[in-house]
Amino acid sequence: MKKIVIFTIKTINKSIKYFIFSVPLLFFNVIALWAEEKIDVFPSTPYDQFIIYQALILFWIGIIGLIVILKMKLKEIERIQSMGIDKEEKDVPFLD
Amino acid sequence: MSCQRLKNWFDERYDFEGIRSFLKQKVVPVHKYGILYYTGGLTLFLFILQFITGMVLAFYYVPYHEQAHKSIIEIVTKLNMGWLFRSLHHWGAQIAIGVLFIHVFGTLLVKAYRKPREIIWITGFILLVISIFFGLSGYFLLWDERAFAAVRVATGGAGNLPFIGGFIKSFLRGSIDVTGETLVRFYAFHVCVLPLFTIFFIGLHGLLVQYHGMSVPISVEKDTKKYEPFFPNVLYKDFIIWLIALGVVVTISVLFPPEIGKKADPLAAPPENIKPEWYFLFLFQTLKLFPGDIMGLNGEMIAIILISLGILFFLLIPFFDRKSSRGEKSTLFTWIGILYTAYFIIMTIIGFLT
Repeated sequence: MKKIVIFTIKTINKSIKYFIFSVPLLFFNVIALWAEEKIDVFPSTPYDQFIIYQALILFWIGIIGLIVILKMKLKEIERIQSMGIDKEEKDVPFLD
Repeated sequence: MSCQRLKNWFDERYDFEGIRSFLKQKVVPVHKYGILYYTGGLTLFLFILQFITGMVLAFYYVPYHEQAHKSIIEIVTKLNMGWLFRSLHHWGAQIAIGVLFIHVFGTLLVKAYRKPREIIWITGFILLVISIFFGLSGYFLLWDERAFAAVRVATGGAGNLPFIGGFIKSFLRGSIDVTGETLVRFYAFHVCVLPLFTIFFIGLHGLLVQYHGMSVPISVEKDTKKYEPFFPNVLYKDFIIWLIALGVVVTISVLFPPEIGKKADPLAAPPENIKPEWYFLFLFQTLKLFPGDIMGLNGEMIAIILISLGILFFLLIPFFDRKSSRGEKSTLFTWIGILYTAYFIIMTIIGFLT
């Protein structure tokens, strides 16, 4: 019986200790609420961020690829134009 | 229906051959200032990007003062890719206005406004004003404390204009002060009135450019003998520049998504160290140069009048620059152009740093 009483007192003591320590923390949390609210304007999870940066890299690869294709096409057009074979001749007979 | 049959179907009804031959005939002069020809097309591309991202955002934005700020937070935090579209719209606007200023000052410095292109200059100027108002009205839609204070200052400044100031101020605000009614009004301007005017003036501007052809600066007019076809050569180069611009806008949007400020409170004092958007900084700095009272007159009103006169002179430059119209070198107007450009850049930098 004595042991039970001692254990109960110890447990209560422990609980009071936790309570005393937790009260300032509670206030600390309340103070944090007054701080300016920051809204997440970018996905916050590392997985989402990884996907976004990966997509950005792929996007640039696509853009560079398209630029290379356009450049090659332009070069070919300029080559044909410099040869003077891009102009349509008038009165060309149709080959039916 | 096969492709050839579809083509024939259209050819029988519409003169596509005429359009094709027009495109083939259109040529662009080749000279050292040729890069300036691409700034107009780039501005157009960025405007199209703004239209697309704006349309997407309009599906979810609520133009009511109680809901506006919350709806933006929901777009950014809850909608799939909402943060990206908002960021694209924000950065697209900044870059579009930046490129537009380069286009305007480039045109001014190479005197592309001279006879017979005066109307092109005027339509371009109107588009610049529309774009700036697009920026201001779009900024206000955020309904945060900075946007609220900026619109209060901007509409108050417009109210200082003699005779018409009061009308402009009350027309823009929709009431005595900036309120929820102003938000509805700015939303209507931003998504309906301004886009309609923009489409009309872009159409007219583009049509006149096609009609007159590309302007060649006087200094290189004699040496310019080489021309390249617009289709496909210049159009392909345009595509390359547009692709790079798209990449830059997307990258900046991903790396620097714009923050959302505190919700506007009409009764609260304006936040400290408030600054307008960067394209208003030169005006803001100019206003700061004037004291509150000049010989018993309102200093701010005098500043607004002088700024308005400066802008009016800028609009009418093609009609004052007679030498350029005759095809002669006009050193005075070159210096005036440099002065305008330098003033804008320096005042913007000072406004940014202070």
